[in-house]
Amino acid sequence: MLLAACALLAAAASSARTLDEIIASKRIIFGVNPNLPPLGLYDAKNQIDGFDVAIARKIADALGVTLEIVPVGPSDRIPFLLADRVDVVTGGMTRTPDRLNAIDFTNPVNTEVMGILTTADKPYRELNQLDDPRVTLVEVRGTTPVRFIKTKLPKAQVLLLDNYPDAIRAIAQGRADALIDVLDFVLVYTKNYSTKWRVVDVPIEVGYDCLGIRKGNVALTQRMNKEIAVLHADGFIAASWLKWFGHPMLHDPTAVTPVAASQ
Amino acid sequence: MTLQFRPILEQWPYLLGGAWLSLEMAVLAFVCGMSIGLVCAALLQFAPPYPRRLITAYVTFATNTPQLVQIYFLFFGLPEVGVILPPLAAVLVGMTFNAGAYLCEILRAGFLSLRPAELEAAEVLGFSRLQLIRLVMMPHVMKVMFPSLSNQFIMMTLGTSMASVFGVEELTGRTLSLGADTYLSVEAFTVAAVLYLVISLVATFTLVLYGRLVHRIKTRML
Repeated sequence: MLLAACALLAAAASSARTLDEIIASKRIIFGVNPNLPPLGLYDAKNQIDGFDVAIARKIADALGVTLEIVPVGPSDRIPFLLADRVDVVTGGMTRTPDRLNAIDFTNPVNTEVMGILTTADKPYRELNQLDDPRVTLVEVRGTTPVRFIKTKLPKAQVLLLDNYPDAIRAIAQGRADALIDVLDFVLVYTKNYSTKWRVVDVPIEVGYDCLGIRKGNVALTQRMNKEIAVLHADGFIAASWLKWFGHPMLHDPTAVTPVAASQ
Repeated sequence: MTLQFRPILEQWPYLLGGAWLSLEMAVLAFVCGMSIGLVCAALLQFAPPYPRRLITAYVTFATNTPQLVQIYFLFFGLPEVGVILPPLAAVLVGMTFNAGAYLCEILRAGFLSLRPAELEAAEVLGFSRLQLIRLVMMPHVMKVMFPSLSNQFIMMTLGTSMASVFGVEELTGRTLSLGADTYLSVEAFTVAAVLYLVISLVATFTLVLYGRLVHRIKTRML
């Protein structure tokens, strides 16, 4: 529904600002989700900051333009792009076939890994080993992995808690054996414990987060790809990730076929 | 009106199972709490000063800290010293600990309301000890304590809702899960509210009936 609406909007709206127009206007507008820490968040001065903003700022500098940030939400970020309210959209923009019908994506900036967090003393090497009544998985109530476990790991015991810090604590204390979630966002809580943590090598799913650009805005997409490649090559993206997430990225975002090939 | 109750009502047995667990938890914690309360109230009345002070400290601590905090300590605090209680056990121990203190106070108030003259009169009339308890003490004490005990039980029944924080899938836990699965939280909680209301009213009705039949206490239900 949303994508159909987006496609309609795309057809009806005027064309997006081109790379030349952006450079001539001396400003680029990035849509950032400020409620997705540490990708995007409000800082102490109520300004939007975070990993996405660090990348956006660097790209704006490379283009020699000022950065303007517009807050977007998970449901309106694509409509914002299609209505030309933003030039580029971020905020956990995982590349999916559905979204590719509505917008273009740059090459990946970062990855999101849905994986298994456990402790070094546990023997789990792959997902199937968790489908066992002797295994207790701790999850946060209402999150997507809960549904995933219900269908894929029906034999596992599930302990549902209210928040990630408590879920991580439950594993540290030996109350639960493992946690399945997008680990990039939860590993920060493991630092409070002396427990020997282990992320199971085989990820369940890897999402590739890219910059979203209005469909057909080829020059802008190509320039963004160039800047992203530079930021990967000089280590800026890896360093920013480490700064904001407190641990290195779990999966290398450059180890994939560029978006153009997958389209 | 955008409310959709059908997907929630289709999960009726799931919610009913949660309601039943809530009731079981309340009954179990109440019965265990009563035992603790009775012992503590008796000790407060008859024990030497040192144990009395200990019990006073327990009652003061348990009635002046939130039950949620007490259970949080049992659930996440005890594992630090190597004791891992399963979620349901941690919640039941916490509820019993909390209820024991409140029930001790209720029972103590009941005992204190006994007038020595009544007991002396019964003894003069030649009542046996059993007759004294059954015919003189109990009717009087129950009249004083029964409304408070009933209230405590209802509050404990509704208080089971915080068990969901510790992974116990009682009524609130199941409601939260169902709301997350169906994205129909308002509808799920509306159904849960009705179930809680039914549990409370049935419990109240049963207690009123018990009070009337067994202790001849005339209280109104509503």
